[in-house]
Amino acid sequence: MNMSVEAPSLLPAVARGDVAAFEELYDRHSGILYALLLRILSSGEDAQEVLQETFAKAWSSASKFDASRGSEVAWLISIARSRGIDRLRSRKVRLDRENDAGREISIRSSFVERTTGADRAIVSQQQTAVRGALGDLPDAQRIALELAYFEGLSQSEIAQRLGEPLGTIKTRMQLGMKKLRERLRAFR
Amino acid sequence: MTHEEYEAIAALDAIGAASADEQNALRAHLESCDQCRKAQREFEEAATLLARSLEPVPPPADVRHRVMAAAGVGETTLREHYRFAVRPWWLATAATLFLALWGWRELGIRVAREKIVSQDAEIRRLSEENARLNDRTRKLSSGISSLTSSDTRTISLAGQRISPEASAKVFLETSQRRAVVFFYNLPANPGDKSYQLWIIRADQPKPQSAGVFDVPRGGNATISIENLPVATEIKALAVTLEPRGGVAQPTNTNFYLMGKS
Repeated sequence: MNMSVEAPSLLPAVARGDVAAFEELYDRHSGILYALLLRILSSGEDAQEVLQETFAKAWSSASKFDASRGSEVAWLISIARSRGIDRLRSRKVRLDRENDAGREISIRSSFVERTTGADRAIVSQQQTAVRGALGDLPDAQRIALELAYFEGLSQSEIAQRLGEPLGTIKTRMQLGMKKLRERLRAFR
Repeated sequence: MTHEEYEAIAALDAIGAASADEQNALRAHLESCDQCRKAQREFEEAATLLARSLEPVPPPADVRHRVMAAAGVGETTLREHYRFAVRPWWLATAATLFLALWGWRELGIRVAREKIVSQDAEIRRLSEENARLNDRTRKLSSGISSLTSSDTRTISLAGQRISPEASAKVFLETSQRRAVVFFYNLPANPGDKSYQLWIIRADQPKPQSAGVFDVPRGGNATISIENLPVATEIKALAVTLEPRGGVAQPTNTNFYLMGKS
């Protein structure tokens, strides 16, 4: 697993307009951000566009980064995920409208369903990595977290998707996050 | 609500799964709770593990260029910025060279402009000289024609009491109504005076000016006259000394030269 928690942050230099630092920032994190956006969007073209937006945001807003609130990579991931989920939701709205018109559109399925898709090879590869990193989480907790984090689903949407009570889903996610928090502490 | 309950909401909020009501309650509580704020930050960081556990996928090579362009930093600019940032003497050298070239260019332009102004003045001077020579050529041709034409008449003017040694010869080309007059042995005129030649016409009571002229120290002068009256109207010719530049009518009767047609 790629971890860059300990690496000195480049964002203060980027905030001063240091383009060399910005270049290094891209080299350091573009791989993980692109993987994240591919995971969320399942589209290389969309992922590349959002990746551009993410680094543009980083360039223009680097001065807002507060190292006491989290790591550099976490800050970038938050930007990328937020924009990726926004793109995903706007795309879903468009697809839903097309579906309403009777067109045959393949709507994005859940994580569990997608792992069996033959046309998701690149995503499946990343999912394997995720399972390895989060292997100590029970599948039920991990799936609930991934549905929320990578697909932007709400508690009720996840409950509906998995056919479980809302309270059960909420508990699973809270337990899963507590374990991730403990794991994060282990990295530090 | 207890701290544990707020932390439970913070856990959901970190992955975007908290409801709107839960988010509002959490935000309000975090304003006054350092413990829960710390927990929230840890949950937010922990959530990124989901992403950081992914196997990195290098973006296509052209994305880097597009990212730099989207951020307003072209790769060329980036490289140049880096190069000059690392080696600032390049900038100083380039600036010095630029200023030297710029100064040399400005000096060249200034010299070229002065040369153009000088050449324009020379062109004007030569044009004026050419016009003067053309006029002189025309007058000489006219004078030669007046002297050699078959219909040329000659009128002699004799010195009067004030200048008995003076004389003049008028060659009058009647067909062209022009003449050339040669003056001899006239006293040099003062600087504030001009000699003036008068035509006494048969058809008019007052004399008509035929032109003014200066006589240098040697006493000789030549003038050409255009648009003369027809020969039959020229009764006589006379010369007086008048104020500089001539007058409409003679101011005195002190004739230097006089001759009848």
